[in-house]
Amino acid sequence: MSLKKQDDMDHNAWLKKQDLTVIETAFLTTLIWLDKRLRIVDYLELLETMYYRANMQMPKSHTEQYDLDNKFWYWYPLYSLGSLSIIAYLVAAVSGALLGFYYSPSTAGAAAQGDPTAAYDSVVMIMTDVQFGFMLRSIHSWAAQFMVAAVFLHMLRVYFTGSYKEPREVNWILGVILIGLTLLFGFSGYVLPWKQLSFWAAQIGVEMALATPLVGEWAAQLLFGGFTLGQATLVRMYILHVFVLPFVVTGLIALHVGIVWVQGIAEPH
Amino acid sequence: MTDDTTPMTDGGTDEEARTDGGPPATVPPDDETPTWSERKEHTSGLAQLTYQYFERSRREDENLRAESTYVERDVLGFPTWPHETIRNLAITSFFVGIIILIAAILPAHYGEPANPGATPAIILPDWYLYWSFGLLKLNPINPNLAVLGGNIAISNEFLGIIAHGIVFGTITLVPFLNKGGARRPVEEPFWAAVGVTGVVLSITLAALAIQNFFPITLDLLLTLTFMLPLVGGIITYAVLKTMREGYMYDLNRRYYMLRPPK
Repeated sequence: MSLKKQDDMDHNAWLKKQDLTVIETAFLTTLIWLDKRLRIVDYLELLETMYYRANMQMPKSHTEQYDLDNKFWYWYPLYSLGSLSIIAYLVAAVSGALLGFYYSPSTAGAAAQGDPTAAYDSVVMIMTDVQFGFMLRSIHSWAAQFMVAAVFLHMLRVYFTGSYKEPREVNWILGVILIGLTLLFGFSGYVLPWKQLSFWAAQIGVEMALATPLVGEWAAQLLFGGFTLGQATLVRMYILHVFVLPFVVTGLIALHVGIVWVQGIAEPH
Repeated sequence: MTDDTTPMTDGGTDEEARTDGGPPATVPPDDETPTWSERKEHTSGLAQLTYQYFERSRREDENLRAESTYVERDVLGFPTWPHETIRNLAITSFFVGIIILIAAILPAHYGEPANPGATPAIILPDWYLYWSFGLLKLNPINPNLAVLGGNIAISNEFLGIIAHGIVFGTITLVPFLNKGGARRPVEEPFWAAVGVTGVVLSITLAALAIQNFFPITLDLLLTLTFMLPLVGGIITYAVLKTMREGYMYDLNRRYYMLRPPK
């Protein structure tokens, strides 16, 4: 038994046997050289598999199977409301991250009652000094409005097409939770500029919490940082808006869509 | 055509054992991986039950698949690329474009800085919380109990919170109350009417929240808040019930043509 390495597949000999142009030879030589070291073929196979997955011919949908297409197409927008709310959520996330560079959650700087605070001033700064800041805040605000609207309409669509029925109860409940969190998202965002309406909306929130027996005071402490509004409230709303809710809502949306993926879309018949 | 005289790779000539060169037909069980029954033997209590259930549900699946008349089709919806992808891209860019357009022509307004000392004349949340704000203004219907000497049993704020609980609770319970395969509103006029009642109620509650803007008395507004949804529901029920007969005929005909009853 010789110590010389056996080359089962002598690619170079195979290459020499072929009648190739210079370019082809160079290409193949490079490919063989790289593949011997990096096993590119495996990755190419992966790519190929991905290509076939992406182009996979799906079985006919319920709609096509029962020849509902001619009746169905004008309902299509209603069936895209769920993804429209995700798109609006993404737009709000991107514009919100950009706004976060300039916003400061602080009630400092008000000499007397009713003076602008640091939070208020930072939003004014975004609107007047920051390049495209006015547009950015406007986009963020409108994306939020669109998201809430899309989520509400999405729920109505699901209700009136009976898509919540067995076996989709869990996803319906998840959707109800997501609507609640979306509203909380909107509420916490509404408080952040610390303008007059923000303050009094938050005041109503505190009063609602305090009116709840047993858990009310604890909830007010947790969410609003006390029974009167101030710096603690603003920071808590800020953390809720930019840290807690984004993670929770994104995770729940992923779960929500994942369940739809697993269970399939409930189309009308 | 197989040449009978060609020996196989292991030198054998038994035609029964000849394969087309693929992997062996049966994969010998891996010693490392216990079978379901082995796992079952090694566990007890809940875990055992779980395994037993898994085995059952797997058998159920197999039976269902064996009984099914569903024919796997080799054709075909729209492929992901390019049809679905381009449609989704078009919808996404259109929607994002609309957001940016609206944001440009109707920029978000900005108010006065917060002043804890001065309550504004009108406190309002964003529009999507109007219904919730309306639920907080139900104090005129907070029951005065004679036993308590005309005092209210629960505070007005807590009444609002209870109302929120009722709203969310009802919505959550819907899939457990309404079962069955019906999908279209015409098939279930009652549930469609419940839905319309809810939608109209959310709108009238929003009107109740901004009651200052309405030139009608509070009594009338409260009555309308609860009567209009009922009226809406009744109309929906009547209309759908009327439509139902002719509609169901069509629907059933198409349905049974495709899946005739056994």
